[in-house]
Amino acid sequence: MDFVQNFPAASILLCLFAGIISSGLKKKAARRVNTILILIVAFLSTCTLLYTMRTGEAFVYVMGRFPAPWGNEIRAGVLGPLVALFFCVIMLLSLEGGRKKLADEVEEEKTFLYYVLMDLLLASLLALIYTNDLFTAYVFVEINTIAACGLIMIRQNGRTIEAAARYMIMSLLGSGLLLMGICMLYDMTGHLLMSNIREQVIYLYAAGEYRIPLLVTIALMSVGLAIKSALFPFHAWLPDAYGYSTVSSAAILSSLVSKGYILLLIKIIYRVIGFDVFYNSRIIDVLFAFGLMGMIFGSFSAIRENDVRRMIAFSSVAQIGYIYMGIGMGTQAGMTASVFHILSHAATKSLLFIAAIGLTDVSGGSRKLVELTGAAYRNKWAGAAFTVGSLSMVGVPLFSGFISKLLFSQAAVQNGTKMLPALIVLGVSTILNAIYFMKTVIRIYTPVESGKYESISFNKMKLYCLTLVFFVVLNVILGVSSQPIVDLIEQGLVMFS
Amino acid sequence: MYYIILSILFPVLSGVYLLVRKEMKSRKNLLWTTGIFFVITAVFVMLALYTWEGGIFALFSLTQRLPILFKVDEVSVVFSVMAVIIFLCAGLFSFEYMKHEQKEKRYYGFYLIAFGVLLALCFAGNLITFYLFFEMLTLVSMPLVLHNGSREAIMAGLKYLFYSLSGAYMALFGLYFIERYGNTLTFSPGGVISSQAAEGHSAMLLCIAFAMLIGFGVKAGMFPMHAWLSAAHPVAPAPASAVLSAVIAKAGVLAVVRVVYYIFGASFLRGTWVQKTWMVLTLITILMGSVLAYREPVFKKRLAYSTVSQVSYILFGLSVMNADSLTGGFLHVLCHGFIKAGLFLCAGAIIYKTGKTRVEQLRGIGKEMPVLMWCYTILSLGLIGIPPMCGFVSKWYLAEGALSSSLYGFSWIGPVILLLSALLTAGYLLPVTISGFFPGADYPYGALEKKEPSWFMTVPVLALTILSVVIGLLPEGLIYYLSQMIEKLI
Amino acid sequence: MILLVIAIPIIAGALISLIPFKERRHMEVFLETWIVLNSLLVLYLLVHRPDHVVTLANFTGNLSIGFKVDGMSMVFAGLVSALWPFATLYAFEYMTKEEHEKIFFTFFTMTYGVTLGIALSANLLTMYFFYELLTLVTVPLVMHTLTREAILASRKYLYYSLGGAAFAFIGLIFIIIYGSTTDFVLGGVLDLEKVGDRTNVLLLIYVIAFMGFGVKAAVCPFNSWLPDAGVAPTPVTALLHAVAVVKSGAFAIIRLTYYSFGTTFLEGTWAQTTVMLVVMFTIVYGCSRAVKETHLKRRLAYSTISNLSYVLFGVTIMTPLGMVGALTHLVFHAVMKISSFFCAGAVMHQTGKQYVHELDGMGYKMPCVFGIFTVSSFALMGVPGFAGFVSKWNLATAAVESGNRIAYGGIICLLLSALLTAIYMLTIVVRAFFPQKDFEMEMLSGIKDPNWKMLVPLFIFTINMIMLGLCSAPLVNFFTNVAAGVY
Repeated sequence: MDFVQNFPAASILLCLFAGIISSGLKKKAARRVNTILILIVAFLSTCTLLYTMRTGEAFVYVMGRFPAPWGNEIRAGVLGPLVALFFCVIMLLSLEGGRKKLADEVEEEKTFLYYVLMDLLLASLLALIYTNDLFTAYVFVEINTIAACGLIMIRQNGRTIEAAARYMIMSLLGSGLLLMGICMLYDMTGHLLMSNIREQVIYLYAAGEYRIPLLVTIALMSVGLAIKSALFPFHAWLPDAYGYSTVSSAAILSSLVSKGYILLLIKIIYRVIGFDVFYNSRIIDVLFAFGLMGMIFGSFSAIRENDVRRMIAFSSVAQIGYIYMGIGMGTQAGMTASVFHILSHAATKSLLFIAAIGLTDVSGGSRKLVELTGAAYRNKWAGAAFTVGSLSMVGVPLFSGFISKLLFSQAAVQNGTKMLPALIVLGVSTILNAIYFMKTVIRIYTPVESGKYESISFNKMKLYCLTLVFFVVLNVILGVSSQPIVDLIEQGLVMFS
Repeated sequence: MYYIILSILFPVLSGVYLLVRKEMKSRKNLLWTTGIFFVITAVFVMLALYTWEGGIFALFSLTQRLPILFKVDEVSVVFSVMAVIIFLCAGLFSFEYMKHEQKEKRYYGFYLIAFGVLLALCFAGNLITFYLFFEMLTLVSMPLVLHNGSREAIMAGLKYLFYSLSGAYMALFGLYFIERYGNTLTFSPGGVISSQAAEGHSAMLLCIAFAMLIGFGVKAGMFPMHAWLSAAHPVAPAPASAVLSAVIAKAGVLAVVRVVYYIFGASFLRGTWVQKTWMVLTLITILMGSVLAYREPVFKKRLAYSTVSQVSYILFGLSVMNADSLTGGFLHVLCHGFIKAGLFLCAGAIIYKTGKTRVEQLRGIGKEMPVLMWCYTILSLGLIGIPPMCGFVSKWYLAEGALSSSLYGFSWIGPVILLLSALLTAGYLLPVTISGFFPGADYPYGALEKKEPSWFMTVPVLALTILSVVIGLLPEGLIYYLSQMIEKLI
Repeated sequence: MILLVIAIPIIAGALISLIPFKERRHMEVFLETWIVLNSLLVLYLLVHRPDHVVTLANFTGNLSIGFKVDGMSMVFAGLVSALWPFATLYAFEYMTKEEHEKIFFTFFTMTYGVTLGIALSANLLTMYFFYELLTLVTVPLVMHTLTREAILASRKYLYYSLGGAAFAFIGLIFIIIYGSTTDFVLGGVLDLEKVGDRTNVLLLIYVIAFMGFGVKAAVCPFNSWLPDAGVAPTPVTALLHAVAVVKSGAFAIIRLTYYSFGTTFLEGTWAQTTVMLVVMFTIVYGCSRAVKETHLKRRLAYSTISNLSYVLFGVTIMTPLGMVGALTHLVFHAVMKISSFFCAGAVMHQTGKQYVHELDGMGYKMPCVFGIFTVSSFALMGVPGFAGFVSKWNLATAAVESGNRIAYGGIICLLLSALLTAIYMLTIVVRAFFPQKDFEMEMLSGIKDPNWKMLVPLFIFTINMIMLGLCSAPLVNFFTNVAAGVY
């Protein structure tokens, strides 16, 4: 066994330990620990990624050398480390971008808690990415939920508490359903380890036994995760949670947390149920349909919204719809597109959140679109970054959004029956995206008579600007040289099962 | 050969020169200049007609397949001679008449340009050249219509423009197809439709022919596109109305001649639904024009409606498509040209001298300006077709042609309508004479004063009257000339 | 070399806002130099065509950003590069009355590069890329005056264009999947084996993509952005919304029809019928709206809508002759419309008058401008001897030659539209030169023709309109060669 194979497990454990240590540290130290932790995890993920790319196959790491079915396994292909690395980058950038705001919004003595929650969140995300055990996955889903709730609530005002409560209820409902699914699976197959379950499921399916329970299980797990990742129509919790929490939380929640659940779903599809079985259940069509509806309704809600943060949040609903549409197409190409969109949306959405905060800050803290008029002149960097993010969302070439649109459409074309609805909804949703994002861009570039709000210069926000630049670069990289990444994803999906 | 170009370019350029140069110092200078331009143009035209040796004069190519070319044939001679005479007469008349209108320089400018373009139309050697100048003619004659600048005039001018253009575009529609299904666009007697290419497409080609007929018929005021004529001709200054009615409306006739006899060929259309429909339309126009003229109280408008009716006589002659009817048609071109120009000039002189525009105001006018009214009476009789005036000859041929045509029904309906319309013509023209010379007992003879206009006005009218009488008395030479031409066409 | 001509304007544009010019003159000289230089480079490039594809970058897999000079590129690039220097010259004068001209010239110049990018792109993806970019760089130009109206107009422009591109994108995807390549090849690149029995789907996609690109070409019902975008300064309206932007839409459709889907695949199908009917409707619709419109620039914008559909009508005939007709009108309409817009702009610049009914008697005060306007009216109407006649002739004869019954109907639409054109153009001419009798000329005192910077472009365009009308043969021969795939 190569040394590198320890890395995934090590990074999860590191995160947990860091969380524990941080709880005893002061604000600054906790922050430092968190930053270092993310960097380390990023490094470890890179190593793992390079390793798996070299070996060309996934490896299984057995925790504590206890063999299955008693032990707990971790499994890493190309996809896992890639996503982990990406998540680390996004998390780091989001935290840096929102650092200043954090200091304003969170009480001094609670700041260290924020980093503790962040560490835990990272731990759970990594676990969701790497684990090969269904029950472990469930446990970390719960940890994730709790950490996320904390992240929402830590900015204490009435609305966040309400939002957190809502989030909690919906999330728990989701995890409950997931748990029921897991129980039923366990009941049917007698296993919790993913690979083992799969063998059993294939056997059961071939034998024609447990048809209905199996179907119910798939439905339960899909719906559970769909609720947690805010698929339309289970998105009611989302705008408040993303709209009122502190900005780093919003960025991370929308770009990482919900994506973690989707990854888990993909993992369940490939590794637990099996792609064919899943495909043959009609659940996939339901996901497809809800995905399409999410794309449309999310955008419509966003158009109606006049609060910029909530608008971006509603846009997330639409983007989650894209991802489910890709999954729902039930083809390899669709899945690739979905995974790519997970990455591209993560990069874009957090960029938008971070840029939006720069714009609202120079508009007297108001988030109403009307007040944002001319904001791009007051904060040039944020304005430019917001424009880039918007263009990417609309799917203009050069930016990452274009590639995901390209991949989705290509996937759609290859699919006989779902082609037309998918293409038409893609087209319509592009227009809707254009409407609300471009409206905002034009508004922030509409000058007002100066003097109402002060403008801010580069010197006062070097770090913030740097973050934005990184985000933009990331976006452009995804947009211009996407081929290696797409290749990796395809390779990773093959290794996944 | 180059006289053709000169006779076209010279008036156009001199007209442009008049338009762009500054106001002349005195009115006299303007008149002299214009007069000289008229004369030179006329000389050029005569030279062009005399020196022509046959053949075709190609100027240049618009696109590869669209040459601009000119030639002179019998039809050109007939139309261009008539145009020159009428333009000169009306031009002379306007020297006096235009005194009471503004912007004389502009008027003469466009008058000359229209003259040149009309000559070009007469000399056009193929359909595309013809179309080019046809559209130009509309554009340059519009300013004559809206000359006096009243709201009514401007609206009439625009109406004229849009009717004519829509006609021209219908014709252009056909042009596109002829380019495809014809051997060439050059006018050649007997038609150019290639029987090979037209094989199996004759139904479509008939539709095309019909569209072109209607389109070019607009200029000739043929039903159903006649409404512009009665609006546009009367609002123009009188000499311009004379030219418009007598010559420019004939451009439509010329166009129809060219299309029917030189592009499609009489044999292609004879006996088809196109011919029949066309005949029906012309007969409707004849009758309708007369009836409308009969009911019209405004003098110049009455004359305009009369034009509607009379030009359709010509078209009727053309539509019957036999030798007699064609002779009648071409004769009527000349008759109507001279007579209607004369009538409009009379009306103009009356307006100029007395300001009276309505028929019922004209009581006793014959006592006031006897020379003019005598001319008017003679011209009217000509138009009605009383022997031995020229109208009689042309109508005789028309009726004979219609009677001898083999078309069932039309052979007797045609003459009947011609006769009916002649009666109506008498009904709308002669009352002016009657009440003019015999105003009745209650006419205030004491207040009568001689208002005979100056020789600028009387001479053109007299000249036109004499011409019309001469044609009526000595038509043989003309008829011989025409019959030679018609032989080729039938 | 190809990259250079695209990059120079973009860089020069960016430099304008960066370099602090002391005087306005310096900026003018700087900009005009670069633009003329670039145009010369383009012409050089067109004469010495590199026969290989210049690839800039690879997107994913076989999708790349590449440039090439073929016949179509020559037409469009030549057109754009010929018009741009004059429009810039005109803009110098026009913009003296507008604010923040630096931003204006930045984007105005950048647009040049982007338009050349569209013209020279070697494959569908590259074209799509520049197509989107074009939308983005022109939005600030529409927004320029920053009035509420302008902002609403630019929003609308943006939504329409991006939305259209979204549907055009679907066409792109299908070409990627079902075509043997995305490069432009005359005759189409569809791989019929791959298509199999999905012909109807592909036809549907063609229609969708046609309409998508058609948004820029202002096909009904996606045309309402164009008149609204007329709030932009006149050089923009004239050059972009009569030539560069809208013609890019038409250009893209030509590429899509002749070079991607291929006419053999499309001809005689219901897709052809559909798009042809749409285009025919637009021809008439645009004109009728123009007749109703009283705002001068909006009237001209509606006229553009109709004329663009002339071009598209040529495209939908789907024969080489149809393409010749389309190309002829593409080029000729550019000259005609730009000069009529420049006249309108000159009037606005000199007098501030914007409505048709304010133009009474102006022909006497601004004889040059209105003389040129009259010439361009005649040209647009299609009076023989002017440019418009030749292009209409080519379109109509192509329609006749194709033997397609619906195309015959198209000819009727063309002529109907010519009549309406006469109505909406000549009423202006008549007003200007023949004011009503009681009109007081004193009201117009102090108005005169603009200075040489405006008049020179106008005169050059006028000469062109007449020259093109009288001897179009060399150009039309060239188009015939393009349509035959000689280049």
